[in-house]
Amino acid sequence: MIDLVNRPLVRLLMVGLPALALQTTLLSELTPFGIVIQMMLCMSIGAGVAAGPEGGALAGFVLGLMFDFVLTSPLGLSALVYGLCGFAGGFAFSTSLANPRWLNAVTCAGLSATAMFVQPVAANWIGVEGWISARLVKVMIVVAIFNGIASYVVVPTMRWCLAVRRLQRLAPPSEVFL
Amino acid sequence: MPIYSVSRRRAVSLLALTSILLITLDQQGNGLVGRARDGFGFVFHPVEEATRVVTRPIQNAWRGVTNYGELESENERLRDRLDQQEGAFIAALAIVRDAQELLALNGIDNLADVSSVTAQVIGASPSNFSQTVEINQGSDRGLRVGMAVVNAAGLVGKVTQVFANRSVVMLTSDVQYAIPVQIVNQIENPETTTTSTTTTTSTTLSPTTNASAPAESAPGSPSTTTPGVDQGGLEVGPPTPTSVAVSTIAPATSAEAPTTTIDINNLPSVETGIFRGRGPDKAPVVEFIDQNARFGEVRVGALVVTSGGSSSLAPRGIVVGRVIKIVERTGTSGAVLEVRLTARLSTLNFVRVLLYQPVVSGR
Repeated sequence: MIDLVNRPLVRLLMVGLPALALQTTLLSELTPFGIVIQMMLCMSIGAGVAAGPEGGALAGFVLGLMFDFVLTSPLGLSALVYGLCGFAGGFAFSTSLANPRWLNAVTCAGLSATAMFVQPVAANWIGVEGWISARLVKVMIVVAIFNGIASYVVVPTMRWCLAVRRLQRLAPPSEVFL
Repeated sequence: MPIYSVSRRRAVSLLALTSILLITLDQQGNGLVGRARDGFGFVFHPVEEATRVVTRPIQNAWRGVTNYGELESENERLRDRLDQQEGAFIAALAIVRDAQELLALNGIDNLADVSSVTAQVIGASPSNFSQTVEINQGSDRGLRVGMAVVNAAGLVGKVTQVFANRSVVMLTSDVQYAIPVQIVNQIENPETTTTSTTTTTSTTLSPTTNASAPAESAPGSPSTTTPGVDQGGLEVGPPTPTSVAVSTIAPATSAEAPTTTIDINNLPSVETGIFRGRGPDKAPVVEFIDQNARFGEVRVGALVVTSGGSSSLAPRGIVVGRVIKIVERTGTSGAVLEVRLTARLSTLNFVRVLLYQPVVSGR
């Protein structure tokens, strides 16, 4: 049983499902400046920061797919964007030797804003029109700020989720020695 | 592992391709996607409900902090409006009843014939791009995808996802929402002109006839009603070559007595178009308006109601809003009308789902 719980995918679902429930209930009502905070996106980027590009991409894909299931937008759109964000989060992490929390916050904020821009653009490509508007700038700013702040909690949580060991985390990435 | 390793590229490419495959399947309306959504909803719903119960105090506290001042002023404003409208409501009830009787007599469907299910809004959209709400009734109560959702003020949206005991409603402000509507120009001055001569050869009814009763007219002649006028008899004149139909109300015995004439050109005229949402920050619009010489120019303040019809998802006559701005466009594209919705979509609580399906979908 303990082995099962220790598997990253199981842990991801154990954390992802309540997080999705929070997103659809509490966070959809608590809307600062009329904008819905995107917790699932923050977790995807946090997974990348915590576990590297592959882990981030996989976690982002799973979390995005879960979010897609409860949305009316095309299935796979959030999975694609969140997966890419997870990968980008991991990419940003692996290129830095130190991993200070403020850098995690900046990474989360920057990638959140990018994702909020990429998502309507991708939606437009597949025929969902109307998502690109002046409001998008406000959405990008608010989501970036809140996800940057949330990263202080989300990154350690995702580290536990993806079973990233302490030594592995503290060791510099292998490509440094290449 | 190097940043650009083969395995890393493969993993990311595989996930991206899987996402694109899912998007393609969903866009094609594959049944598997719908079943997957239903399955996930079945598993997720208990977790969501439990979270909703646990987080409700926090939501209430947040609303209390952020909306208290607004609620207080709104409460005062609504009290004033309630007082104003109480009298008008009683008068309107009588007119609505008359209108429903007339629609029934003419075999035209009206909203009173459509059964409905009352539902409570239990959740808002978790996305910044889709304008949806979740309601607490589903297929167990007969709800189907596409059914119109209204509240006391007017049209709210349509059902887009149905589960056993909950549904997702796309709001009229969503960019994906579109429905055929009618624009009803209001009468500026409902004129009843009084003339002293009548030259028409007319069918004269009894002087005791009440004008609010349905008028019988000769085949081919225009059928008009004059509610609220009950003096004298009712005369229906033949159509003139310029098709100006006139109902004359005058004492049947005297050709020189004053006659009240109602020109039906002054009655509200309608025009059809397509209503489309444009997101939460922009007013929805009506476009592709049919040109009609009799209709003339659309005026600010004109009423927008659903047009109904065999393929429309909503029955005829649901109030959508009022025209607040007319944007003229060059060429044949016609004007675009910006509409202020009568239903306040930001504060929805109870809504009514009309169990109506258009004829073409096999009611």
